[in-house]
Amino acid sequence: MTFRPTLIAGAVLGVLFAATPLPVPLSAVGPQDPPPPQRPTQLDLSMGGRGYQPRLGLPDFVVPSGDADLTAAARVVAEVLWADLDFEKEFYMIPRADSARIPPAATPLALPLQSWVQLGADFVLFGSVRRIGDRFEVDLRSIAARGRNPGSQEFGRQYQGCTIDNPRACAHYIADDFHKETRGLDGVAQTRLAFVSNRDGARLTGRPLNEPGNSKEIYISDYDGANQRRVTANQNLNIAPNWSPDARSLVYTSWESGFQDIYLIHPFGGGPRSRPAAGSDRMRNMLGAWSPDAQRIAFASNQGSERTDIWVVNRDGTGLRNLTPNTPNWMDNRPTWSPDGTKIAFTSDRSGTNQIYMMAADGTGVQRIISQQHSDAPTWSPLHYIAFTLGSGPGHDIAVFDLLKGEVRVLTDGAGSNGSPSVAPNGRHIAFTTTRWGREQIAIIDYPTGRNYRRITQAGTNTYPSWSPVPAR
Amino acid sequence: MIRLHRWLVTFVAIAFVAACSGNPPPAAGPDPTPFPGTPAAPPATPPPPPSRPPEPPRVPVEPSITADPLATMTPEEINQNSPLLPVFFLYDSDQLDDAARQVLSDNAKVLSRYASWVITIEGHCDERGTPEYNLALGDRRALAAKNFLLSLGVQADRIRTVSYGKEFPFDPGHDETAWSRNRRSHFMVVSK
Repeated sequence: MTFRPTLIAGAVLGVLFAATPLPVPLSAVGPQDPPPPQRPTQLDLSMGGRGYQPRLGLPDFVVPSGDADLTAAARVVAEVLWADLDFEKEFYMIPRADSARIPPAATPLALPLQSWVQLGADFVLFGSVRRIGDRFEVDLRSIAARGRNPGSQEFGRQYQGCTIDNPRACAHYIADDFHKETRGLDGVAQTRLAFVSNRDGARLTGRPLNEPGNSKEIYISDYDGANQRRVTANQNLNIAPNWSPDARSLVYTSWESGFQDIYLIHPFGGGPRSRPAAGSDRMRNMLGAWSPDAQRIAFASNQGSERTDIWVVNRDGTGLRNLTPNTPNWMDNRPTWSPDGTKIAFTSDRSGTNQIYMMAADGTGVQRIISQQHSDAPTWSPLHYIAFTLGSGPGHDIAVFDLLKGEVRVLTDGAGSNGSPSVAPNGRHIAFTTTRWGREQIAIIDYPTGRNYRRITQAGTNTYPSWSPVPAR
Repeated sequence: MIRLHRWLVTFVAIAFVAACSGNPPPAAGPDPTPFPGTPAAPPATPPPPPSRPPEPPRVPVEPSITADPLATMTPEEINQNSPLLPVFFLYDSDQLDDAARQVLSDNAKVLSRYASWVITIEGHCDERGTPEYNLALGDRRALAAKNFLLSLGVQADRIRTVSYGKEFPFDPGHDETAWSRNRRSHFMVVSK
């Protein structure tokens, strides 16, 4: 695929980064259609069939003013942009350590293209940075290094509204825009992870000292693991966070009332915490999952009975109902919604072993869809597959069930125990819990290749990842 | 016994002195009519108070004569070394074996002796199996213990259940010794 030429003059797309972590766009010059809904089936996921993977060089950005703060921020933008582009594997990114010796060019015309060609580059991303008020602008152009017209500009865009104190957010925005414009790809550079960590290790309130009881709290981070921060502080056991469709709220399971219940929080503002299922020691609720229309939460509950059922409640606490009421001897657990919100997949032991089933969102039409020795933790991706945990232990693997082909394929390589998958909103990456490096940590691998293991967490024991949708604008 | 004797003597002495002192308590009834000639205004100086018996010698508070520490401990203290013992399970099982049923019978006796105690039964699992599955298995283990106690006559509103899945291992090891210690229903006194 070649880039389509884009002229800068007259078509400036500005982006305003507000004080909140999430950027808010200005309206562009000229008529603007709303972005089309993501159509992931149009993406060609098979790297082998894609054809040539363009090779991209990305040197440090030029800072004509020489301003030290701006230069430092610009360096972060370039590094993070390189990593974001490398993440999706749409391009082969020439390592910056290799290209660091190429003398910098002050303008695109001054680029020493032959030096870049020697490193194998097809294109060079030339960026320059200048302050505008208390923000800065990145002017990014893609210059052909070789081919029919070396030196020609293939892509050009100005990104406004970056701030000195948040260059990573600037780079993430640029990466997603660049992927969308040049490859038609919905990137995930602006998404977040949520997960559980015991790294603060506070004693549970009221637990005897000779009992186990170190707290586990909910943390969030950028998708690449940067900016990890805690969002609960109740010194108790908190697990299983799940992002809302607008990526601004979380439902999670907590024992802070003495029993499992699901809680809604809004880490970026937007209202007080709530308990929509109104749990008690008679009705214990856990493992909540937001519906794609953000109106309902499905969860597992064992309202005083022997076995858990799948329940659903509206986010405001109304409409509480049991979707699997006639299964008193079976354990139905861990619901996940289909992307169109019409179905729920879940685990059930009604066959004697833990398997994955599917039903309509109103509880009708239950059918078994996966039959393996032991399956758990289904997560429905946007790409016609369900990721899940395979195996009865002691080691588990991440597997995917292809809904179109009806096939199960193991994705992880058998090192350590791997489970609790969560899929990125473009379906190309899966976050999961793994013991391959010792204690449980959060890792990411690519789909469909199962390659490119990335370790997200370091401190403490970390589990239950949830990958946010692309943040709402 | 000597202490008890001293208490008795002191008590009798106090009672004796109280019986001989001061005025009897006023009887219920209409106010007494003042004597004729009694001045209407109250006397300028009130009459001296009746002489009081000397304060009894201080006697330190004794522990309860029945010597039952559990009756005075807080729930937190009880849980440090609880008379309610845990029951253990086989892998991936919520079935009670004979040993478990014996422990639960003993626990039921403790609960009938301390009839005000409210307890929580926690279901725990070993590290194998997925965390999601173990959350539900822990619930089944807690409920198995609870249901057996109910069958022995313990009242349902005294027993709460909760599952901790595999989130709180008692033994952090990675062998069957550790795993067998973690597959349990664990008893905690919540209130007395």
